[in-house]
Amino acid sequence: MTFQQAAEAHLDDVYGYLAWFTGDRFAAEELTSVTFERALRLWHRFDPARGSARTWLCQVARTVALDHFRSERRRLRREQLAAPPEAVDFRFAEGLSPDLEAALARLTAGEREVVALRVLLDLDAGSAARILGISPTNCTTRLNRALKKLQEALHVAA
Amino acid sequence: MSQRDLVAELRAARVEAPPQVRERIRLIAAEAPAPPRRFTWRRALVVAVPVAAAVAAAVVLTRPSPHGQTSAVREQRLAHGAATRTRQPGALAVPSTPKRAVVVGESLSLRVTDISGSVKRAVQVAVSLGGYATSVHATTQGAQGSADLTLRVPRAHVQEAVTRLAQLGTITAEQLDVTDRQAGLNATDRLIARLQQQLAALREQHAGAARIAALTARIEALQRSEAATRRSAHYATIRLHLATPAPPVRARHHHGPLHGVGVALRWLGIGAVYALAVGVPVAAVLALLWLAARTLRRRREDALLSRR
Repeated sequence: MTFQQAAEAHLDDVYGYLAWFTGDRFAAEELTSVTFERALRLWHRFDPARGSARTWLCQVARTVALDHFRSERRRLRREQLAAPPEAVDFRFAEGLSPDLEAALARLTAGEREVVALRVLLDLDAGSAARILGISPTNCTTRLNRALKKLQEALHVAA
Repeated sequence: MSQRDLVAELRAARVEAPPQVRERIRLIAAEAPAPPRRFTWRRALVVAVPVAAAVAAAVVLTRPSPHGQTSAVREQRLAHGAATRTRQPGALAVPSTPKRAVVVGESLSLRVTDISGSVKRAVQVAVSLGGYATSVHATTQGAQGSADLTLRVPRAHVQEAVTRLAQLGTITAEQLDVTDRQAGLNATDRLIARLQQQLAALREQHAGAARIAALTARIEALQRSEAATRRSAHYATIRLHLATPAPPVRARHHHGPLHGVGVALRWLGIGAVYALAVGVPVAAVLALLWLAARTLRRRREDALLSRR
């Protein structure tokens, strides 16, 4: 598989993952570009025997996203001294009910990440765990907690 | 809403990248160079393992095992090496100074196959050249044996004697000692002449018979000593040591062609033990450091991702 083929096939997956992970569409668009630029530089390290291109691209995307979160945290600290940040209105995906959108927005970034990987991208526990750097059991536990939290939020909304 | 319905709704959601992102990614992907030929360990091993095996097999099969030869073969080698010396017997040449009183001593060690026959021939050599044997000590036990002979040969024929004796077997050691006694003899001659003048003077003065007798006795003693020195210089002494070859000792173990592999594996095992002794503590420390770093990183990540 060439880089062009991988980029074409998994662009939506990477963008969706970053969008749900960050909860910020504009940031997701920017981070998707950064992810593929970095992936292009690191493409020679990709080994199909060790995992799919989608899993590898998600690993790169996660590194990019974590860098983004770190810089965002520093930026927010500075800005909070001057003025509180504005709330960002964001639609996670087409076809979701407003209640589910609101419930997703209440999840932490880490919880949205595991939902994105396991549910949105439909990755198996092993692949998702490899991206997260944790064990498959831990990954499943995190997913169950996130789904339970979503259920509770939906129940409250109902 | 049940968890199954929740998951079904989430999965039904569609997330598509905006067209501007898609276009940007297309431009990035267009910069991708042609995939280079990828180096993988598997490919490298496919080449390296047969090559290493072939080299190892060639080394093992072609290397002569140092323990695999019997001593008999080594003896043949020694004999072959010694044969070159046999072609030049008595490489230590005796200086040719027939008019000077020179004491020559030659020590010769030979390896022979037949002790008693060699002893007889050595004595015959000495006698045929006008010499004689002063001592013969021979010991035999089965096919093994040794002999020590002291031969006296006229100094004029010592080179020929050594050459003929060397043909009895192969030379294993040779030593030549040459001492010039001519200066001492000349001094003795001068002393005797002076004493004889003194003796003549005493006789003319009609000195006491006791003094004349003492001086005469001293002159005679000096003359005997001089004669003895000349006799010893006339004959060269050849000390001959004869010995049979040591019995071939069979190697205790006949090593097969795979002996090298066994030795290599043994050393690999020793190396592995040392590597384990050093490597395990280092690996344990590294593992602990890695675990600590990973825990710290995860905690930071969890803290980072715990916000909405």
